[in-house]
Amino acid sequence: MLERLSYFFRRALGNIRQSPVLCSATVGSVAVALCLLAAFAIVVINVQEVARRWEGEVRVIAYLDQPPPREELTTLIRALEAQPEVAAVHFVNSEEAFRRFRERLQGSEDLVAGLEPSILPASLELKLNDKYRTPKEAKALAGRIEKRWGLTDLHYGQEWLQPFEAFLALLRLVGAVLGGFLLFAALFIVANTIKITLYARQDEVDVMVLVGATPLFIKIPFLLEGALHGALGGGIALVLSYLLYRVVLAEGLGAVLTGAGGRSILFLPWGFQLLLIGFGIALGVVGSMIALRRFVKF
Amino acid sequence: MIQLYNVSKAYQRESTALQEISLKIPKGEFVYLTGPSGAGKSTLLKLLYGAEQPSRGQILINGQNLTRMSQARVALLRRRIGVVFQDFKLLTRRTVFENVAFPLEIQGKKRFEVSKRVYQVLKQVGLELKLNRYPLTLSGGEQQRVSIARALIIDPLILLADEPTGNLDPGVASAIMNLLKDANARGSTVLVATHDRELLQMFPRRTLVLDQGQLAEDRNPWENEGAIF
Repeated sequence: MLERLSYFFRRALGNIRQSPVLCSATVGSVAVALCLLAAFAIVVINVQEVARRWEGEVRVIAYLDQPPPREELTTLIRALEAQPEVAAVHFVNSEEAFRRFRERLQGSEDLVAGLEPSILPASLELKLNDKYRTPKEAKALAGRIEKRWGLTDLHYGQEWLQPFEAFLALLRLVGAVLGGFLLFAALFIVANTIKITLYARQDEVDVMVLVGATPLFIKIPFLLEGALHGALGGGIALVLSYLLYRVVLAEGLGAVLTGAGGRSILFLPWGFQLLLIGFGIALGVVGSMIALRRFVKF
Repeated sequence: MIQLYNVSKAYQRESTALQEISLKIPKGEFVYLTGPSGAGKSTLLKLLYGAEQPSRGQILINGQNLTRMSQARVALLRRRIGVVFQDFKLLTRRTVFENVAFPLEIQGKKRFEVSKRVYQVLKQVGLELKLNRYPLTLSGGEQQRVSIARALIIDPLILLADEPTGNLDPGVASAIMNLLKDANARGSTVLVATHDRELLQMFPRRTLVLDQGQLAEDRNPWENEGAIF
């Protein structure tokens, strides 16, 4: 069994050695397709991570024109905390709001010099339970609060969160469509390379058929050749995408996302890296199968 | 060993290569298949090693129905059938040794076993000193001997030869025929397709005569004299 496998690998490697230029073109095509996919995936993964972090901080804020008397405020807070979506309610008075605002203006505090804290309204910050930290749930809660307690000045990030989620969905769609085209192109190239190899080896295939090689015996070295092209292409794509990440994405994307509240840019997780190579191998094998199906007649 | 029952082969509606051929070739026999060009000799041989399927009829090889076999089983049957062609069909990028070893490699034989057997067979055909040469550096006769060696290495039940002496001069042709006779003497059933009249006279054997796709005659060796076509 091992000797057979070794024979198949030797044949596959022999095919590759005999056409290095063709092999390079194929591996290059697979590498480019997968590298672009990987780069897209890095962008999507990191944007998704920011979105996840933002969603985790989704809360409902009810601004109060005039804070009610203490007792009424306590009753209101207890009623709000009793809601299933609400984990905790925190009252932020004008002074605290002003202090937080000054902290955000780090280095430019003199912009608010001379202003009174009362310019900022007090508010009730409703921290949500994990299950309900979505724009949809926050919106539903805000609607109920407005109806029941008459609080009208409610914010839950609706101005930016929903458009951001729509943008993320679009990004995923564009990635899928672009990825699909690139993969199709790479598949086409692998299939053609194997076809050309088959043309070049037609005499050998004919003799193999003549001396009793089974269809599978004939196909396996070509399938392995496709798989090797794909694995090599996937490996190169991984290296290229890492270089791209270090040189371009970490700086460019990093600047955009950390400004939006993200942390450092993540590279592809291990599972995805293995998937990339696996994808390359699958691409190679499927490309070979397409070529073999049309070409090799028994 | 070889049985054909009402076998016909048509490539297109107007083009019938073989019509209603029925014949039997017992184990160990040496038979010629002759006839003018286009009579259907090569087509008949292709049917016997499964390269083509008959349009009608049944073909039995060693008791197995070739017409009802899967491709994988046909491949396994071919491992017991040696085929020799007029144009040799050798792999020019492989040495003589590698060409002859090929059928055994396909069958998964171990390297040591293969080497031993290849040397044995090359010695039989007189090419043991040329095992590292490439086919195109050999003469036509030598290339045909390599082709025969490749066919013999599997100890074939059946040896099919399609115009094996077609490209060779008479002296060489005689040597080739001796190799085929030796294979027959060792137990292989041999079927040689040829239109070489001299060959038929040099080595008289049972002769099947095809004409326009039909079996015109089935002669025993002593009726080969006189014009056949």
